[in-house]
Amino acid sequence: MLSLREGSIIVVTLLVAVYFSLNTSSFLTSANFKTLLPYFAPFAIMASGVVFVMILGEIDLSIGATYLFAPFLFYKLAHAGLPLVPAVIVALIACMAVGLVNGFFTAVVGISSFVATLGMLFALEGFTLIISHGEPVETPGAQVTTSTHNVVHVINGVHVTLPTTVNHISTFARIFGAGVYSELIWALLVVAILQTVLTFTRWGLYTVAVGSNKLGAAEAGVRVRLVMMRNFVLCASTAGLVGILEAVRASSVQPDPAGANEILFEAIAAAVIGGTLMTGGSGTVVGALIGALFLGILHDGLILQGVNANYLLFYLGLAIILAMTVNVYVQRVRRGAGHD
Amino acid sequence: MTEQMPDDVLRVENIAKRFGPVTALRDVNLHLRKGEVLGLLGDNGAGKSTLIKILSGFQKQDSGEMFVHGQPYAPRSVDAARASGIETVYQDLALIDELSVYHNLFLRREKVHRPLPFLANREMKRQAREALDEIGINIPRIDVAVARLSGGQRQAIAVARTANSDADILLLDEPLAAMGAKEGSMILDLVARLKQEGRVSIIMILHNYVHVLQACDRVSMIQDGAIALDKPTAETSVEELTEIVVNEYRRARQQNAAQH
Repeated sequence: MLSLREGSIIVVTLLVAVYFSLNTSSFLTSANFKTLLPYFAPFAIMASGVVFVMILGEIDLSIGATYLFAPFLFYKLAHAGLPLVPAVIVALIACMAVGLVNGFFTAVVGISSFVATLGMLFALEGFTLIISHGEPVETPGAQVTTSTHNVVHVINGVHVTLPTTVNHISTFARIFGAGVYSELIWALLVVAILQTVLTFTRWGLYTVAVGSNKLGAAEAGVRVRLVMMRNFVLCASTAGLVGILEAVRASSVQPDPAGANEILFEAIAAAVIGGTLMTGGSGTVVGALIGALFLGILHDGLILQGVNANYLLFYLGLAIILAMTVNVYVQRVRRGAGHD
Repeated sequence: MTEQMPDDVLRVENIAKRFGPVTALRDVNLHLRKGEVLGLLGDNGAGKSTLIKILSGFQKQDSGEMFVHGQPYAPRSVDAARASGIETVYQDLALIDELSVYHNLFLRREKVHRPLPFLANREMKRQAREALDEIGINIPRIDVAVARLSGGQRQAIAVARTANSDADILLLDEPLAAMGAKEGSMILDLVARLKQEGRVSIIMILHNYVHVLQACDRVSMIQDGAIALDKPTAETSVEELTEIVVNEYRRARQQNAAQH
């Protein structure tokens, strides 16, 4: 049931992957796959939520702010004595409230989502600076402890005892971002669930209906405001989830609005590259995953090629435009062949 | 003002509606009998579409009352109107371009695999195909987006959507707009077939008087926000209908001239 829209970006992503594997020996290694994960898994999750808002023909510029806000609230809640998992849940509920406010101003008050969420971006980042006093914090439950054990190795039939350092990460941290594959599993889970919601449930059907023809959907009896508000809530909760996962993975978090806004643009870019239209009415979650993967491979591959850090963003930008141009051509060729 | 008839499925009494300084409806009285096809005529801006939107629960009147099967009828939403058995095909069609034919047919009435929330797409496709075959609409593929269909096909699907429901009152807002003669007669055939089944009563906004006399049992003409004529089509003619409109036009022009 996946639309063929993401087909061409899959082709382009494969081309880029093949290019890097031919040009750098270290690209196709399991070590590099692990390096690649944080470059795409978080964006895949956030972009999945953004897709639901963009299909409506709306935008959420506050996801970077929500991403930043969630771990600081989590920290406050955990320090106020809430156990870790409930603290995560309450922090995510707060993010949903942020989404509800975005949705309210867009769907009920009628401010354009660009403006409403831009206001939210500044207000929420400001609020995060206030509650954090501009200081970084250590993520609760994510601290790595080390201990030294004597481990017996067998080398050429001889038993040798060597002291070995072992890192201990709590189960909580392993699940919520610090485990090597934690974010990947979250990403695949979120993408699978949200693509199912989009394709196979009324929620998804009404999302497309409102994005394609808002007046028509309303006349048919679709509750447009409800549909819009719950998608903003969904979008904000994916951003909050990623904020917490990343904070646990890094084991500390900086109150850095500039970094958070970079995340915002990468997430929206992943959605758009994945074939979600800026004009609404059409989009796919799996496409967003591929879009995020494409950005991740590009980022990682350029670093492996030894591109000077100063040139990285420059090349990244050129590569995105080049890839999207190829994407348009691939789509045209397929449409010409009658497979659209 | 409207005489009380026992078989009225819908009655509208003294409906008025203003949009800021514009009076769309001044004082509309209307009734619809069971199994009847009523043609609603009126110049552009006479208030026909506003009346349809009030009847279908999309807008609310400022004053006046409505009755469905003798019961007071004050829908708060399109869903509420549907629950009372009133379905509407709007002029702007309310079709969703990006959705497939069968999703459009079932919009707000989707079948799901209970208790799971998943859409029963196969079941909806089958029923959509049956419904379209039954009313004689030929759409080769019902899983394509409606954006790819012709104007007539789109209109037919919009009408089929109401016919597919449990509604007993259908409101059709200019069902022949932007349509060729062949497609137009397909829609009129569809209306005739629905009438023959006798299950539904229909109010249809039309522009072409020939179509009105051909397809409707009775005709009501709105002028200046009120009903100016209400007659069985057998007792009127294209000439009479034209004359009313021309007289109104002359009167309005004289009024304008007197003002300036």
